Amino acid sequence: MQEITERIATCVELGKISKTTPFPPHMKGQDGADEIAAEALKNGVHPDALLAGCMQGMERIGKQYSENLVFVPNLLMSAAAMNAVMKHLKPYLESGALKRKGTFIIGTVAGDLHDLGKNLVAMTIKGGGFEVIDLGVDCSTEKFLNAIAQHPDCSVGLSALLTTTLINMEKSVQAIKKAHPSVKVLIGGAPVTDNYCRQIGADFYSANPQGAVEFLNKNKNI
Amino acid sequence: MSIPGLTLIAESINDSVPSTHVLFEENNLQGIVELARFQAEKGAAYIDVNVGLRTPAFMAEVVQKIQQHISLPLSIDTPDPEMAAAALEVYDRARSGDPIPILNSISEARLEMFDLYQKHPFIPILLATEGKDEFGGIKMNKTAAETHATARSIVHIARQRVEGLSNDKIIIDPGIMPIGSDSTGNFRRLMNAMQLIHQDSDLAGVNMSVGLSNFTVMLPPQKADGSAVKGPLESAFLTMAMPLGLNTIVGSVKRKYALLPPDHPAMQCLTDVLNLEGMEIIMRVMSYIS
Ligand code: B12
Repeated sequence: MQEITERIATCVELGKISKTTPFPPHMKGQDGADEIAAEALKNGVHPDALLAGCMQGMERIGKQYSENLVFVPNLLMSAAAMNAVMKHLKPYLESGALKRKGTFIIGTVAGDLHDLGKNLVAMTIKGGGFEVIDLGVDCSTEKFLNAIAQHPDCSVGLSALLTTTLINMEKSVQAIKKAHPSVKVLIGGAPVTDNYCRQIGADFYSANPQGAVEFLNKNKNI
Repeated sequence: MSIPGLTLIAESINDSVPSTHVLFEENNLQGIVELARFQAEKGAAYIDVNVGLRTPAFMAEVVQKIQQHISLPLSIDTPDPEMAAAALEVYDRARSGDPIPILNSISEARLEMFDLYQKHPFIPILLATEGKDEFGGIKMNKTAAETHATARSIVHIARQRVEGLSNDKIIIDPGIMPIGSDSTGNFRRLMNAMQLIHQDSDLAGVNMSVGLSNFTVMLPPQKADGSAVKGPLESAFLTMAMPLGLNTIVGSVKRKYALLPPDHPAMQCLTDVLNLEGMEIIMRVMSYIS
């Protein structure tokens, strides 16, 4: 079981999606996340072991990314390998046999269409073992509030890339905090700072996705 | 910077560049002038001026200060009509030997910028990246045909608002996106959109521009063997895009842009990417940068 977790973690970390994907070159022709997960479940390995592999792999790549040792394409490859495992875990997650750590709702604020950073955060948090609900771009305050109402013990992330949409981030954060004081609100995006986070009353700012996972792990509701 | 037929708008005076942000924060306008001078000496044709979220008066002051010392024409870079108005008001055309400034940029959501034209003419950069949805909201264009349609419609609007505006006094920005996260085939959309715009007789003679540095954000500066990643990919982009009508870029004076032969690894990478989908694109870029 530990061996499977480690094999999955390695595939996720290095972005080895399946046998046929040529990346990384030194693993060409070997089984990837897809085959290893399918085979393990067939052999009766508990899905927990696979989820643990995803989490470990994403954590490793997330750390390397925050230290500038790897770059966005690496993170995307890792997320794709993770998704190849998640595809097999879906029935267990739906039946409740496999539990996640909590729910994370994320969106880009109103007026802002940038989503690459938000998507990376969503993938990394999913890889951290959370259920992620992605509201997309240009999200109004109502959209955030409606989603939170359906998942009252969630945490929320808001992303903004334009100085002109920071004001909408502030409005949404304040409305969320007012309606749901116990919901943790995370913010990020290139123009966002720690200072700004305190100023608008959000709970946490991180410049990179891994920081957000670490915060959620410390503050998880279940 | 020495590709014939390519106009460089130098990008560094932009509040989103951290070192420039510091100059603005410290009100170090002498530093801004030095930056303008450096870019002028390195071959810029225009100097872009983006002061971020500051006041129109500050924008005007920066424009005046640069023009006191540098004779190149400027590209006024702001989404805010008031800021654009303040900059154009103080802009001294005689200082740069009469060429009109560029206004970067106008989208279908910011058409009031055209109201400034009559008093202070400018060359508009028209954004074809976002159009209007059926409810009047903004919508990101996802296909080459949509980008082309927005280019046509915004040029038509420009002609209605500005009498006698000819195509050669218009720049269209068809929107460049980072190749390092291009799992949706945006590079192909962009190439096809440029081709459609280039072949459209109604748009004959329009200029086209992209913010070239955005193409390689998120990539490492070097490959494992120490060779450069970004310069060659940006040059490969130019080599493929200039025959489709690209003739202007917002870019860096520090890059040595060049036209590359088809067998250059960066050219092979981009040529392959045109025929790939989804994660295959990311893998191809990974194999180029590794
Ligand atoms: C790609 C891009 C676009 C693409 C977006 C495509 C897409 N699907 O996202 C397109 C072409 C559509 C675009 C459009 C525009 N853009 Co743009 N764009 C960029 C660019 C090149 C890269 C942004 C990016 O994806 N970075 C990579 C990601 C991975 O980084 P990131 O988003 O910062 O996210 C990381 C962290 O911030 C953090 N994070 C992000 N969100 C969150 C959330 C949480 C909760 C947490 C914890 C962390 C976190 O984690 C991420 C991973 O590390 C930047 C320039 C640059 N060099 O950054 C300009 C830039 C952001 N754009 C800019 C502008 C001005 C525009 C336009 C207004 C253009 C125009 N002239 O009209 C339009 C606006 C459209 C709109 N309404 O939103 C400016 C913003 C200036 C400013 N400070 O306000 C920039 C800085 C360019 C510039 N130098 O002027 N753009």
